[in-house]
Parts: sequence; structure tokens; C-alpha cells
Amino acid sequence: MPVKTMSSFEPNAQTGAATSPGVPAESPSSPAEPAFKVNNLSIWYGEKQAIKNVSIDIPAKAITAIIGPSGCGKSTFLRCLNRMHELVPRTRLEGDIHFYGEDLYGPTVDPAVVRRRVGMVFQKSNPFPTMSIEENVLVGLRLNGVRDRRFLNERLEQSLRRSALWEEVKHDLKKPGMSISGGQQQRLCIARALAVEPEVLLMDEPCSALDPIATAKIEELIRELRDKYTIVIVTHNMQQASRVSDKTAFFYVGELIEFGDTTQLFNRPSERQTEDYITGRFG
Amino acid sequence: MMRTRHILREFDRALDALRSDALMMASLTDRNLQNAMSCLLDRNPELCVVTVLDEKEVDALEKKVDRDGVDILLRYQPVASDLRQVVSTMKLGSNLERVADQAVNIAKRSRRLSMEPELHEAFALGPLFVDAISIFRDSIRAYADGDVALARTLRERDREIDQMNRQIADDLTAKMAEQADRIPDYLQLLFIARHLERVGDHAKNIAEDAVYAAEAEDIRHPDNALAYH
Repeated sequence: MPVKTMSSFEPNAQTGAATSPGVPAESPSSPAEPAFKVNNLSIWYGEKQAIKNVSIDIPAKAITAIIGPSGCGKSTFLRCLNRMHELVPRTRLEGDIHFYGEDLYGPTVDPAVVRRRVGMVFQKSNPFPTMSIEENVLVGLRLNGVRDRRFLNERLEQSLRRSALWEEVKHDLKKPGMSISGGQQQRLCIARALAVEPEVLLMDEPCSALDPIATAKIEELIRELRDKYTIVIVTHNMQQASRVSDKTAFFYVGELIEFGDTTQLFNRPSERQTEDYITGRFG
Repeated sequence: MMRTRHILREFDRALDALRSDALMMASLTDRNLQNAMSCLLDRNPELCVVTVLDEKEVDALEKKVDRDGVDILLRYQPVASDLRQVVSTMKLGSNLERVADQAVNIAKRSRRLSMEPELHEAFALGPLFVDAISIFRDSIRAYADGDVALARTLRERDREIDQMNRQIADDLTAKMAEQADRIPDYLQLLFIARHLERVGDHAKNIAEDAVYAAEAEDIRHPDNALAYH
């Protein structure tokens, strides 16, 4: 990794003021370098410890699935990868997370910049209700001060194409974002996340509210995005994890029990707890 | 190894039923093989007919194991040891049906031989019968108990059966030269030895699947350097 003179997470390192507004610096990854290096991570909500001493390397340009029963800490873990968990009061974190070698929790790091480089898609699609499809996609860029109409139009089409939604909405860009189907709304949210050109997409059960057809489209999209983005997906659906991901991590009561190649983990898990969970013997 | 039960009890019941049908199939196949041995050594044409007809039970169970296996894949989407168990049980069904086929082939040839004057050389096949039935039973035990250590010994025992078959084929070929008028009968014996050698092959296959079911390790074709990934 090249040595940097200034953290790319600092507010004035945002590329919003660079030649291509809203476009981040080139990802400094080499294929073998993990996107995230997590070391001895522990997280508390007040007195309750949600994550216990987790260490894991999340590979770049690959899909990592996080599975585990409710309350195992998988969503908390996902949210700490872009500091979203800090929005919950009385949160405390120990250990460290490095993103392409940079300390994600360094004293000069701006969480807003982190969240632009590490985008997030939530369980329930959440287009801004008063905005059109176009406005929903471009809102992040506009908040970053981008005004160049030609650039915005290009990014609008590019983001909607990458989220496999362009052909379905290209004649309806001025319609409200809430007017399209649930599956389309979720892809709109993905387009919104992609518009600011993140390097990572975090997905928290992105298909749990969708029907099988819409789910299949999102899964196909996730596979297509894999070449350009690092993707981390939390899912309760183990078939989904086994279909879409390259790596799978199994969490249980805040601990990382097992992490490995998805095929290996679903065929021959190393840990008894993993086997019991994925085969439905828990409880 | 005792496993905890699934939360979904219906899944356990379906897996148990699949396994039970496969073991019933193994038991019937074992009976057919023993009957085939009696067909030849006791020169019992009635038992030959019974052995041929008995195969229908094995065939019907093979279809049931396949149908129920697919049903489990469809309904429960098993993974890990459950998936390996279902896949290996369906493969076990195919191997058992083929072993039962060999028993039928032996019975048909034995019936033809029973209509001709007795050939003393038929008794030379006795040890081959004993070894074929023994390796078959051990392969079923390896599958049923998840006995990987036992399963791993069966490749060598299959080789010994191959060697025994070759020796018998050489001996029978020499006899054919001496007694040309009994060549058709010696050929029947030669083919019966070949059928028993195939039983050994199927037992080896069952043992390989037992290892896969227990440990997710593919021990087939260890000498083949070509591998597709």
C-alpha cells in the first residue's frame, strides 16, 4: 500500500473539492490486501457487550456474508465498519479497524467521510419520500456540493445502470421514489449508495422484505457489483449467504465462531456450533 | 456419533426414513447375494427364480430412496453433514441396485448351470463369494456407523477380490482348453466370478461415499493427478 501523507478520511481530504466532485481517491488496494483488518474488536451498548474480541480480515472486491442467530452481533459488527453504530447512545468500542491500512477510528477521521466511502443499504428500502427517483439517487452528491448538471446526469444513469434499475425507470425519473415497487425501491437505495462512488457496500438484510423475484434481482445485482466493490452482507437467509457470498463469517453471542470460504463453511464447517446452526440444530 | 436433533422434527423424520429405506435395501440386497451363492453351490433352480424376482423389491426401494432424497433437497435445503448424508444415501441406493443386479445375473447363470452336469470348479468360486459378501457387508457397516477407518480399508480388499477373480479366470481358461465340450459352462462360471468382482467395486464405491458423508473428503481415484476445480 502506498504511504499517505494525509488520511483520506479527514474532512478536507474529501474529493468533493477535487477534479471529479464526489469521486473518491483510487482505492489503494492490491488484490491480496484486505479491505478491512479488524483486530480484537469489542463493542458495548451501555453495560451490554455486543461484540467480543473479534479479529477478522475482510477481503477486498469480494462478497462476505455474516450469518448468525438474532442478537449475535452481526448487525452491530456491520455498522461499526462505517461507524454507524456510533449513532446509538452510550456505545463504547475497543480494538481497532483498519480500512486499507488507515485507522477507521483515528482522531482526525471524519465519520461522514467514512460513511461516504463505506456505503450502506438497509433492511427496509428507505427512499426519501418527498423526492423523485432522480433526486433520491443524486441527493448524496448534491449534499457534497456537486452542481455540474452534465456530471450529475452521467452519474444518475451510471448508478441506475449499476443497480440494474435504469431500464425500468429511465422514462420515470421525475416520479416519486416511493411510487415504484418494493424491490425497485431497494435497488434505488443501492443506486443512491453507489452514486457517491463508495468503495464498500454494507448490506443489512437487504432482501428480507422482498418477494423471491425481487430477491433474485438483488442477488444478481450483488454478484455483478462484486467486481467493483467490497460487499459485506448480513443475512438471516443461509441459502442466500451460500448463493451470493465468497466468504462467510458465523457469529454467535458476540463472538466470531468461524470465518472461511463459503463453500467450505456450508459443506464442512470446522466448528460444531457452526454445523449446528447451519443445519438447524440450534436451540 | 450422536447428533442433536433438528429444531424442525419433520426434517429428522424425513432423514431417518431415507436412511431406514436405504438400510432395508441393503438388507434385501444382502439376502439376494446369499441366495445367489446358494443358487450356484447348491444347484437350486427354484431359488434362482426367487432371486430374480426378489430384485423387484430392491428396484422399488431404489426409486423410493431417490424420490425421498429429492424431496428432502427440495423441502429442507440441507447443508453440511445433512446434505452429504442425503447425497451419499442416494448414491448408496444406486450402488445397491447394481449389486442386486449382479445377484440376478449370478442366479440366471446358475440356473443354466444347474441344468448341466455338475462342474467341480464351481466350488472354487466359494471363497470369492464369501469375500464379496464380506466386503459388501463391511461397506454397509461403514455407511451406517460412519466408520471411516473401516471404509478406508475396503479399497485394498477390493484389490484382493480383483486378484482372486483374475486367478479364477486363468484357472477356468486353462480348464476350457482341457474340456472343450464344457466351454459354455466354464464361461458361465467365468462371468459369475466377474459379477462378484463387480460387487467388490460397488462395495468400494459405497465405502468412498461413507467417507464423504462422514468427513466431506473425496477419496475416489487417488492415483488420478487430473483435477477439475
